[in-house]
Amino acid sequence: MLLKVGKYVVLIIAAGLIAYNSVYIKKLSELRSAEVKPFNAKEYARDYLYKKLPSSAGKAIEINELLAQLETNPLSAFSKYSHSLSEGDSKYFLVSGTGTIAEISDEYIFLKSKTAANVKIATEYIVGNTARDASGLISMDEFGNSMDINTVSEEINKLIKTEIIPPVKAKAKKGDLIAFKGCIELSKSDVKLDNIEIIPVFLTIKN
Amino acid sequence: MSRPYSLQLAKFQSLIALFILCLALSILSDKFLTVDNGWNVLRQISVNICISVGMTLIVLTSGIDLSVGSVLALSGAITAGLLKSGIELPGNDLFIGFTMLGAILAGLLTGSVLGCFNGWIITRFKVPPFVATLGMLTIARGLTMLWTKGYPISGLGNNFAFIGSGWFLGIPVLVWIASVVVVLSVFMSNKTAFGRYIFAIGGNENASRLSGININKVKVLVYTIAGLLAAVGGIMVTSRLDSAQPNAGMSYELDSIAAVVIGGTSLSGGRGSIMGTVLGAIIIGVLNNGLVLLDVSPFWQQVVKGFVILFAVIIDKANSKAE
Repeated sequence: MLLKVGKYVVLIIAAGLIAYNSVYIKKLSELRSAEVKPFNAKEYARDYLYKKLPSSAGKAIEINELLAQLETNPLSAFSKYSHSLSEGDSKYFLVSGTGTIAEISDEYIFLKSKTAANVKIATEYIVGNTARDASGLISMDEFGNSMDINTVSEEINKLIKTEIIPPVKAKAKKGDLIAFKGCIELSKSDVKLDNIEIIPVFLTIKN
Repeated sequence: MSRPYSLQLAKFQSLIALFILCLALSILSDKFLTVDNGWNVLRQISVNICISVGMTLIVLTSGIDLSVGSVLALSGAITAGLLKSGIELPGNDLFIGFTMLGAILAGLLTGSVLGCFNGWIITRFKVPPFVATLGMLTIARGLTMLWTKGYPISGLGNNFAFIGSGWFLGIPVLVWIASVVVVLSVFMSNKTAFGRYIFAIGGNENASRLSGININKVKVLVYTIAGLLAAVGGIMVTSRLDSAQPNAGMSYELDSIAAVVIGGTSLSGGRGSIMGTVLGAIIIGVLNNGLVLLDVSPFWQQVVKGFVILFAVIIDKANSKAE
């Protein structure tokens, strides 16, 4: 009889110990107030495009100067001015400049170029990570996961397409002088300078 | 009187088949007989071994369990869900969080309860095991979808992932778990009265009843153990993927039945062994691995596996007749 009772006591103690180590109870309200605010890619993209990027205006290299350096010493130009968050061959540059509008199509604003390069500002297809990576202001460490950083790219592109380009494109006409700050993508292993496509992050007509 | 030579040979048929398979694959692929591939095969079959051991016990009682794959999925999902999100009780302003131990125990309990329910339905209402467990297959899969809302539950932490991808004393943790399951099951089936009852029921249910064995109790317990082992498999799969997938364990029941049959356990019950099933699971694992290494199309792999199962059943029938 005593043995049986002892057996039950041991079993109850074991079950209690297991239960104690299996669950923990907290106040739901306290837990919710301590929860980390979920990442807001839209807010981040807006802050980047309208606050961080303008404050680092000095980091953008004048486009003709960049093209000249890429012609003469591409390796040095890439190491000095390019950025990328990935290990791939594509590198991104933050450039600035002014140019006279040579032509306006549905997809681009073509500029009269002082060099042989065909320089155009994209106005329709704003895709990829060019605008996100070119400045070098965004670091992977800021993000908890790769999905967030990809969403940031999407949101920046969306803002450029919907807020940066339309007001300028609406009043731009052939012959206007346009000032821009934008981002370009170049392949490090195959540098092609004859066709430069700029993703604009700042645009204004100077006339 | 000594048994005919062919019958003695039949006892080792699975082992002979495995040996021939390994020999052929070693000749056909230089990647097969490597240490890394050996561990890879053992890790892959660990889950099937756990499920198949439970299936063996059921088949020995001349039953069948079609629900193990779904029970595996639900148990894994419950474990993952509780570990990741716990239970919220907004009405009481309470959050019940689960430690890894708690979540695993809840997963094991889920499998056991579903297995017990299978056994109860089969014994209480005399529903054929095929039909009862077919019902559970659908019920458990539906519950898994409800619990996960159709999405995987991922990011379960390094400690939990260690079960599926870690090593202990130079051996993968998954292999340790499968080994413990096998050792305990062999002991139970060969050295305990309960194990003898399982064989007796499968051999002749009426005679067992008349000799005083509580048939229903043994059967319910056997189905409960099978559910528990399916849950063990579910936790292993979830940990290995670091994610509970709503469609996990699909057609696992077929692989486990195949392992049981290839291992020489008679589908009519009463004859077979856990070690035979382990061999059967290894044969299926080696066959899968070999066909992948030989770059055989997945569609042909299924065809080959099907023929192997048919061949095993035909051999089993021939052996029964000879005996």
